[in-house]
Amino acid sequence: MSEQVSVRQIARDGAGLMSRFVRAHPIAFAIGVFGAANFAAAIVASAVVVGRVTDELIVPVLTDGEDVNGRITGAVLALLGISLWKGIGIVVRRTGATWMSGRNQADLRTQLVDHLLTLELSWFRRQSTGDLLAVSDSDANRATSVLGPFPFATGAVLLLFGSIGIIAFIDIPLALVSMVGLVGKVVIDVYGAKRIFPGFAEVQQRQGRASAVAHESMDGALTVKALGREQEETERFTRASEDLRDQLIHVARQFTFYDAVQDTIPALTTVLILIIGVVRVDAGVVTAGDLVAITYLLSLIAFPLRLIGFVLWEMSGSLAALGRVDRVLEITEEVTYGEALASTEATGARVESTGVSFSYESGDLVLEDVQFDIPAGKTVAVVGPTGSGKSTLVTLLARLWDPDTGVVHLDGRDLRDFARSALPGEVAFVGQDVFLFDDTVTGNIAFGINALQDEVEAAARLAGAHQFILELPEGYDTQLGERGTTLSGGQRQRIALARALARKPRLLILDDATSAVDPSVESEILAGLKRSELPSTVIVVAYRQSSIALADEVVFVEHGRIAAHGTHKGLLSHPGYARLLQAYERDAAERSAAEAADG
Amino acid sequence: MGEALTTRKALGRLLTIPSVRKGLWLTLVLAFLGTALNVAIPIIVQQTVDNEIVATGGPDISGTLVQGVIAMVFMVAAGFARRYSTLRLQATAARGLSDLRVQVFGHLHRMSALHVQSERRGSLVARVTSDIYRIQEFMGWGGMGMVIGISQLTLTVIAMLIYQWQLALLVVGGVTTYGAALFWFQRILGRAHDRVRERVADSMSALGESITGLPVVRAYGAELITSRRVRAAVDRQFDAEFRTYTLGSALFSSAEIFAGSLTAGVIGVGVLLGTGNGVTTGTLLAFVFLVNLLVQPVQTLVETLDSAQAAASGMRRVIGVLDTPVDLADPPNGRSLPDSDLDVSVSGLRFHYPTGGDVLTDVNVDIPAGSRVAVVGETGSGKTTFAKLVVRLLDATDGSIRIGGVPVDEISFASLRTRVAYVPQEGFLFDTTVAENVRYGRPIVADAGIAMAFADLGLRQWVDSLPKGLDTQVGERGAQLSAGERQLVALTRAWLSQPDLLVLDEATSAVDPALEVSLRRAIDRLIAGRTSITIAHRLSTAEASDFVLVFDEGRLVERGTHQELLAMNGVYAAMHADWAAGTSVL
Repeated sequence: MSEQVSVRQIARDGAGLMSRFVRAHPIAFAIGVFGAANFAAAIVASAVVVGRVTDELIVPVLTDGEDVNGRITGAVLALLGISLWKGIGIVVRRTGATWMSGRNQADLRTQLVDHLLTLELSWFRRQSTGDLLAVSDSDANRATSVLGPFPFATGAVLLLFGSIGIIAFIDIPLALVSMVGLVGKVVIDVYGAKRIFPGFAEVQQRQGRASAVAHESMDGALTVKALGREQEETERFTRASEDLRDQLIHVARQFTFYDAVQDTIPALTTVLILIIGVVRVDAGVVTAGDLVAITYLLSLIAFPLRLIGFVLWEMSGSLAALGRVDRVLEITEEVTYGEALASTEATGARVESTGVSFSYESGDLVLEDVQFDIPAGKTVAVVGPTGSGKSTLVTLLARLWDPDTGVVHLDGRDLRDFARSALPGEVAFVGQDVFLFDDTVTGNIAFGINALQDEVEAAARLAGAHQFILELPEGYDTQLGERGTTLSGGQRQRIALARALARKPRLLILDDATSAVDPSVESEILAGLKRSELPSTVIVVAYRQSSIALADEVVFVEHGRIAAHGTHKGLLSHPGYARLLQAYERDAAERSAAEAADG
Repeated sequence: MGEALTTRKALGRLLTIPSVRKGLWLTLVLAFLGTALNVAIPIIVQQTVDNEIVATGGPDISGTLVQGVIAMVFMVAAGFARRYSTLRLQATAARGLSDLRVQVFGHLHRMSALHVQSERRGSLVARVTSDIYRIQEFMGWGGMGMVIGISQLTLTVIAMLIYQWQLALLVVGGVTTYGAALFWFQRILGRAHDRVRERVADSMSALGESITGLPVVRAYGAELITSRRVRAAVDRQFDAEFRTYTLGSALFSSAEIFAGSLTAGVIGVGVLLGTGNGVTTGTLLAFVFLVNLLVQPVQTLVETLDSAQAAASGMRRVIGVLDTPVDLADPPNGRSLPDSDLDVSVSGLRFHYPTGGDVLTDVNVDIPAGSRVAVVGETGSGKTTFAKLVVRLLDATDGSIRIGGVPVDEISFASLRTRVAYVPQEGFLFDTTVAENVRYGRPIVADAGIAMAFADLGLRQWVDSLPKGLDTQVGERGAQLSAGERQLVALTRAWLSQPDLLVLDEATSAVDPALEVSLRRAIDRLIAGRTSITIAHRLSTAEASDFVLVFDEGRLVERGTHQELLAMNGVYAAMHADWAAGTSVL
C-alpha cells in the first residue's frame, strides 16, 4: 500500500473501478444517481422556498403587520411537498446504491470462490489460508464499500454546483463568498482524507496483527502453558495492542483536526454571508428572503458535502482491497483437464508412474525420477522414513498436484487427460488432516455424490464408524463441522474414510489416514477393506507393521526415490527397509543383549 | 455465570476502567462548548434579521461588523473545543479498550484447559478481540454522537424556550413523538439487523469452508456443489441486507419528511401567533433553523441505542471471560522444586470435567526419581489426562500429586515449568523459523545451543535436510512441516530446558520406527538419572521402560515391568499381543 496516494491517481483508478462495477449493474447505479440528483435538487428547492416564504409571508406578516390572508396554506403545502420529494429521493438513492454495492459484493465473492476452485493445489499450498479468507471476506467487502455512498457523493457534487449557481443567480458577491467557503471546505476535507488515509490503513494492519497474535497464541495455549510462557505471551500481545492503540490515537488526532476545521468553515462562511448580506440588503440588491435562503442552504449542504471527501477516502481503500482481490482472480495456475471419462468397469485401476520428479516452490527435489507400476486390484503399502517424500508421492497419484516432470498413468491414461469430473469418480484420497463440513454425518459421507442411506451406512461400517455414529445425539443426522458436535481425532478420520469408501473408488489412497485410530481398530478396518468386495486398488502410506502386513506389495521410498519395490518379505533383504521395519525388534534384541551382558 | 447483564450494567462496566474515567468530565464540558458551534447560527440569524435587516431605521453596518467578528472568534473557539472533546473521547476509548483487551488475553492464558477447550480458545479470543474493537468504535463514535446529540438537544431546547415557549412546546412535542416512533421502528430494524448478522455469519462460514476445505473439495470433485453452496449463502446474505437497508432508508427519509412538516408547522403557527405573542421575523426564522438541529440528534441517539445493544452484547462476552475465575493460578509464594532428582507421588487421584463422569478414578502410584515409566492404555483410558494432571495443566478434582515431595499446586510456575517439561502429541509451532520455535521455551539460548540440542537428539541430519536449516520457516501452525517433523521440533524445544522430569504424551507418534527408536535411545542416554513418563503409542517404548502403568477406563489397572505384566496375562498382555501381531514380520 503506497503512502503517497494522490487524488488524481485515486480519481483515475477509481474511474476504472466504477466503470467495472457500474457495467455489471447499470440500472441500479442509474437509479441511485437519479435518487441522489433528486435529493440535491430538493435541497436547493427547499432553500428557495424558505426564502420565498420569508419574503412573502413572514416579513409581510411579522414585520410589516399585514394580514395572513390564507397565504399560510400555500407555504405549508410547498414545504411539505419538498420534504416529501427529499424523502423519496433518499429512498430511491439508497435502494439503487444498496443493490449496486450488495450485488457486486456478492458477485465478487462467488467469482473468487469459483476461481479458487479451479486453481492448482500447489498454488494454494503456498498461500496462507488466513489471507485467502481475508480476501474473500473483508477485501471483497471493502472493494465494494465505495459503491454505497458513491451516488450520494455524485449528488453532493451536483448540490455544490447547484447551490453556487442559485446563489450566483441571487447575488454575485455573495456567491463568491459562498464559493470560497464551500470549495474551501471540500478541498480541506479531501486533503484531510488524503492525509488520514494511510493512517487508517495502518490501523487496519495493526488490528490484523493484534488479532493474529491473539489467535496464534491461543491456538498454542497448551504449549504456551507447558513451557510457562504465559507472561511473555501477554507481553507480546500487549505490544501489539498498544501499537494499535497508539495508531488509533494518532489517526484520531489528525481526523479530529480536519473534522473540526471543515465543520467550522461553513459556520464562518455563514457569518460572513450575513455581514455582507446586511450591506447588500441595505443597498436593495437582495431581499431578506434571499439572504435567509442562502443561509439556510449553507446549513443544509454542510453534511452532504462531506460525502465527497468520504468517497475519495473510501475509494482508495476500495482500490487497495480490489487490488488484493484481483491478484487472486488473476492467478492463472489453473488445473487443466482433458476429456477422458471415468471407466464404467467396477475393477481396480492400474497405476503407473514414469520418470516423476517433483519439488515444492523453489526447493530441492522431493521426488526424483520415480518409476513404478502397480497392477490393478492390489493393496500396496508405501513405506519410508519421515520426510522421504511418500506423502508427496501419493498426492501426485490422486492428482492433487501435478509432477514437474514425468507422468502418472491410471489404466494407461495420463491423469491430466481425464475430464474435470471424471477423476474424483476414479480416485479417492484420504489424508492425515481431516476436514469435515458444516453438515450432517450423512451429508459429510455422501459429500458430492448421490448415495442412498444404505450405501452411506455400508461405507461407515467398513470405515469402522457405524457404531459410534449411532451413539451420536442424532445418529447419522448429527450436525458436524465447526459449529457441530465435536468428534475425537480418530472418529473424524473414520468419517473421512467412510466418505472415500462411499464413492466406491477404483483407486483408494490412504495417506496415514488412520493415525489417530487405535491400533487394534485400525487393523480391523484394514482387514475389513481387504475382505470387502471393493473394486479398488488400495495404496496405503503405512507407518505400522500391521498395515504393511496386509499389503500385497510394498513400495519403499527413501530420499525421494523408489529404493525398492516388491513383497514385504522380499524387501527385508534391503538394508534400509530392514533397518526401518525391524527397528523395534533390533532394539529389543540389543536391549536384552545389553541386559545379559550386565547380568 | 449469573444472570444476563442489562445493557446499562454491561456498558457501565467500561466506566470502571481507570483509563476511561480519567478526565471524562473535561471531555463532556468541551463537547458542550463545541456543540454551541451549531446552535450559534440560528441565534446569529435571528439577531441579524431583527436588529439589522428588518430593523426600523435600517442596519448599523459597523455594529454588524463588530458583532460578526465576535461571532467568528467564538466559532473558532467552539471548533477547538469540539476537536479536543472528540479527540479526548477517542483517545480514551483507544486506551481503555487496549487495557481491556490485554486483560482478557492474560486471563484466557491463565485459565486451564477445563473451561475452554484449547481448540475453541483461538476462535473465542478472535471473537473477543473483534468484540472489543466494536466496543471501542461504539465508545469513540457512538459515544461522541451521544454526547454531542444530548448537548445539542439541550442547548437547542433552551434557545427555543428563551425565544418563544408556545413554538418551543410545539417543536419539543413533535420531536418527542417522532423520537418514540423512531424507537419503535428501530426495534423492527434491530431484528432485521440480527437477521443480516446471521446471514453474514452463514455466508462467511460457507466461504471459509470452501477455502479451508479446498483440498477435500478438489479430491472429491465437489467444486460444483461447493460453488452452489457459497452462491446460495452469499445470495441469502444479499437478500437480507438489501431488505434491511432499504427498510433503513425509510428511517432517513422519515427524518427529512418530519423535519419538513415541523418547519411548515412552525411557520404556520408562528405566523398565526404573531408579534403579539413575541414572534418576530427573526425569532421565527431562528426556529426554522433550530428545527433541523433537533431532528438530526434524535436520529443519531436512536441509532446509537441500537449500536449500544450490539456493544453491550460484546461487553457481556468480555465480562463472561473476565469473571470466570482463574482455576489454575500460579500459587502465591509458590515453592521451588528441590534441587535433588524428582520423584512423583500420586495418591487418591480423581478427575472429572465440570460436566460428565470421572475421567480418572482413584489413581495411586509412586514413581521413584530417575525411573523411566511408560503409560499405556486405549484411547479414552485417561492416560493423557493423567499426564496433564502431573504437569499441572489441569487440577485434580480429588487426591494429591507431589513432585519431589512438593504438592504440585504449591510449586511456583517459574520452578515447575523449567524443571518439568511436557511434550504433547500435537506440539504447537508458531509461524516463524525452526530455530525460533525451539528457542521459544528458553529465549536466551543462542543458535549454537539450538543446533547442539538437535545434535544431542541425533537430529542433525534432519535439520541439514531442511531447505534453510534452522532458519527454515515452518508456516502457520507449522503447516510446512509434516506431522512427524513438527514433533521433532516440539521435542527438541522441550529438551532445550534440560528438564528433570520429562513427560512425553505420544510425542513421537508420527515419526518413523527407526527414527523413533534412535530418538528414544538418545533421550534415555541424555536424561540418565532423571525421571521420564512416556505415554506410549507403540508398545516398544513400554518394553524398554523400567516399569509400565496400564490405564483402562480411567483406572490404573496394572503396573509392573514389561515381563511381569506379560506374565499377568491381563490387559497389557492382550494389548501387547495385538501390537506384536502388527509388528511381527510375516
